[in-house]
Amino acid sequence: MYPTGRAGKAARSPQEKEIKKKKLKAKVGLSQNPQVVEIEVPESELPVWDLDAKLKIVGKGVPRIEGPEKVTGQAKYTLDYTPVDLPGLLYAKVLRSPYAHARVESIDASRAAALPGVKAVVLIAKGSGFDASNALLDVVSDGPALEPQDREVIAEGEEVAVVAAESEAIAEDALELIEVKYVRLPHVVDYEEARRPEAPRVHKEASSNVVPGDPQTAGDIEKGFKEADVIIERTLRVPVLLHNSAEPHAAVAKWEGKKLTVWASTQGVNGFREDLAKAFKLDKADVRVITQHMGGGFGSKFGMQNYGGLAALMARRAGAPVKLAYDRHEENQAAGNRPNATMWIKLGAKKDGRLTALHCRAYGTAGVGRDASVTGMMATVYKCPNLRLEDSDVYTNAGMGMPMRAPGYPQGSFAIESAMDELALELKMDPLELRRKNFVDLPLLALEEMYQVGAEKIGWSRRGELGPKPGSPLRRGMGMGTAVWGNGAGPPAASRVTIAPDGSVESAMAVQDLGVGTRTLVAMVTAEELGVPLEAVKVSIGDTSLELIGPDSGGSVTALSIAPAIRLAAAAARHQLFQKVAPALGAKPEDLVCDDGKISARGRPGQALTWKEAAAKLGAPVSGHGERLPNVAPYGDLPLWGVQFAEVEVDTETGLVRVVKVVAVHEAGRVINRTTFESQVQGGVIMGLGYALLERRTMDKTEGRVINPNLEDYKMIGPEELPEIETVIVEPITPANNVGGKGIGEPCTVPTAAAVSNAVAHALGIRVYELPLSPDRILDALAAKKEA
Amino acid sequence: MSKTKNGKQKLSRRKFLKTAGMASGAAAVCLFAKPAPGAKAAAAKHQPLGPGQVEVRLDVNGKVHVLKLEPRVTLVEALRERLNLTGTKRTCDHGECGACTVLLDGRAVCSCMTLAVNAQGKKIITIEGLAQGKLLARLQKAFVEHDALQCGFCTPGMIMSLKALLDQHPRATPAQIRAAIAGNYCRCGALPNILKAASAVARG
Repeated sequence: MYPTGRAGKAARSPQEKEIKKKKLKAKVGLSQNPQVVEIEVPESELPVWDLDAKLKIVGKGVPRIEGPEKVTGQAKYTLDYTPVDLPGLLYAKVLRSPYAHARVESIDASRAAALPGVKAVVLIAKGSGFDASNALLDVVSDGPALEPQDREVIAEGEEVAVVAAESEAIAEDALELIEVKYVRLPHVVDYEEARRPEAPRVHKEASSNVVPGDPQTAGDIEKGFKEADVIIERTLRVPVLLHNSAEPHAAVAKWEGKKLTVWASTQGVNGFREDLAKAFKLDKADVRVITQHMGGGFGSKFGMQNYGGLAALMARRAGAPVKLAYDRHEENQAAGNRPNATMWIKLGAKKDGRLTALHCRAYGTAGVGRDASVTGMMATVYKCPNLRLEDSDVYTNAGMGMPMRAPGYPQGSFAIESAMDELALELKMDPLELRRKNFVDLPLLALEEMYQVGAEKIGWSRRGELGPKPGSPLRRGMGMGTAVWGNGAGPPAASRVTIAPDGSVESAMAVQDLGVGTRTLVAMVTAEELGVPLEAVKVSIGDTSLELIGPDSGGSVTALSIAPAIRLAAAAARHQLFQKVAPALGAKPEDLVCDDGKISARGRPGQALTWKEAAAKLGAPVSGHGERLPNVAPYGDLPLWGVQFAEVEVDTETGLVRVVKVVAVHEAGRVINRTTFESQVQGGVIMGLGYALLERRTMDKTEGRVINPNLEDYKMIGPEELPEIETVIVEPITPANNVGGKGIGEPCTVPTAAAVSNAVAHALGIRVYELPLSPDRILDALAAKKEA
Repeated sequence: MSKTKNGKQKLSRRKFLKTAGMASGAAAVCLFAKPAPGAKAAAAKHQPLGPGQVEVRLDVNGKVHVLKLEPRVTLVEALRERLNLTGTKRTCDHGECGACTVLLDGRAVCSCMTLAVNAQGKKIITIEGLAQGKLLARLQKAFVEHDALQCGFCTPGMIMSLKALLDQHPRATPAQIRAAIAGNYCRCGALPNILKAASAVARG
């Protein structure tokens, strides 16, 4: 479902065998330390934009092209479709269980159905805990369901009934008229309690609430610990987080006969369409999904899900277009969350700092869903010959977990980086030095350069001088953490670039822009390859009717799955243009170049045609098609790296942690747009700061409810908590694809909380083993130290 | 909070507004204000509004719109769902996120916490009212130039909160700027660039 680095690799389907290959040379790595590599690529592949490439647009900082639309309120999001756009639009609302576990004895919606303005009502008449939306759609009835079959709700917020009405107010009034008789059953929302054998079973069909995963192992863990001179053993905890995308999960569905159009706030128009086609047994060609602008997803908006399925269902039942949008409470009860974790970690090392063994046993809850694993990063971030990494999921009667920006990695980072710092303390070694002793052996690794520049920017050499300020309760500290994330970019992705006789260029692909700058990136890569100004390119994305497959946006795969395909499409379109204009310039098509919107033969810039003059010779529009080719081995498998440093000030009287500065050094191979790259890094850091200091979903154990499903009690970083954030780009060009790049979305949020926590431990000389580092925990730790 | 038949324990906000709208009578009566002397007599003169539709006149971006609305309809609903002015966003509907911020006689208010009937007689400015044709207002231009937006969903609210500040304090300090958007949340993390954009405008 979610193309993380790990899953992404498995999903690729290289067709290398049938394709004729050629050999190319590329100058890659860092400009101060270039390496020339020979790579084998399909005959149709373009030369890599390597260190010698002269680029005019790519690599610059470009403000996003949809900026004017967004600052004027003209950008249309899914939530923004109204009866003015779609006459007769109805509003759907979902009745949700107030209980964490209950048997539904009866549902009577006859009064709701009779309310003027109500156009359709459906009841969920059997089953429970719908993790596949198809299952939910299969069990609806028109009611009243006075004797539901085996209908149990197993989490607060689970769907019980849905209403579509002429206004949101009428739909809400109707929900209040639906009479549901619940018989409450024992529940468990605390994951520690859920592990006990006597705990209420969350899924009746499961033999236990605990589902162990397959351990990941390497070497001989016992031997590794025997060889160790120092061993650190700790248990750390992290809370459940809420995505809280600004735009809620929302879908607007419209049927025209058997054809279905859905506007959706989704991270993947293609995945959403596939799910709809399957659920409603339609031809894919009859389903169109549109996402022009969307207000964030962070992992919570893959696939059709219940919001998409129910919107389409209600539209069909009512015979009118329907908008279904969750409110903030629904969003935070039933639309996903980041699983929590308890992580027991044991780390062994030689006196010189080399790691000999790492053992981690972790468990966490994704509520009624699966995948709370956190040890993914531990196997890749540092070199350790002997590993044993064990994850297990614990079912609880709570909303289903979903991937959230670098799923599992910020959790795992907090455990391993805390253990690394404690190891450094034990070895009386600088924490940075300890990391340097354990670099992985991978080509083109630029970690040393990243550590150096980061240490310099934060002033790591001052670290020894930090500590209590004379006459003040304030203490300063500095910490760091390493980011790693698997590279999942690759095929399939298809692009079409069209040049019209009026000189206009259209670059099209069925990919969506989550707010990360995808639209701008499409324009930049197209303009660069064609040799025209950025303004000349019109971008068409976010619509499956383009029939140009693009990736669902997750796992930091979007930019570098699409950019190489766009280059190929642009080059193909340009080739057709050159064929038309070559005779006029008295040259062969392959000798022509386009630079700054002027076309001329190589070496004869004096005799040139402007882009417009050249296009006018086309007569009819020409289109080039580009397919993303497989990554070049072994470079396609190299991870994305980063390192973050934090300086903090802790008030030992109030327990308040103030982050003074964060330096975030990241690499993604060639950076396409410096502006949006830096913005995304800042965003990742800010989310990580929230993880470190403020964010946690809180549940009432007795009632089994989320008690902070809102934006007031769920605390996030605001302007008053914001530190100085300095982003630094290190740019080792990769030959993995023709653009020379990788991704950035996730790694930038991986190490932030760990770096802050290490800085706090440095400031105080004691460590808090649970996030967030709230004042009460800081004060408790200080008190415990005093007693000791 | 009463428990309803379906066990829903939260008091529906809409139901509250529906009742309150009926009881408060005259549009201008503040729901929680201490009654002013003579208020009783004044209230007696006014007929309660609703619960059916009433005529509501809204002056939005210099244009007067006459709508038929239930008194419980909030300003954000009227702007978005009736006037199609969807630049004003709604993410929480509880005054917690600031995305629905509009100017009411120059003051930044959450339009989800304002009844449409109570916005009558006031000048309402929304995000759509800032640019003149294709010419962006300074703040809008600064947002684009400093990349002070990512998904863009919080952007209109951010801009309206900052506009209210900068109209009052054209040379606002960084501390004033931070305070002005303390009630606006941004999940993408555009805050550093938002502060930069606002400071650039404040510096002139």
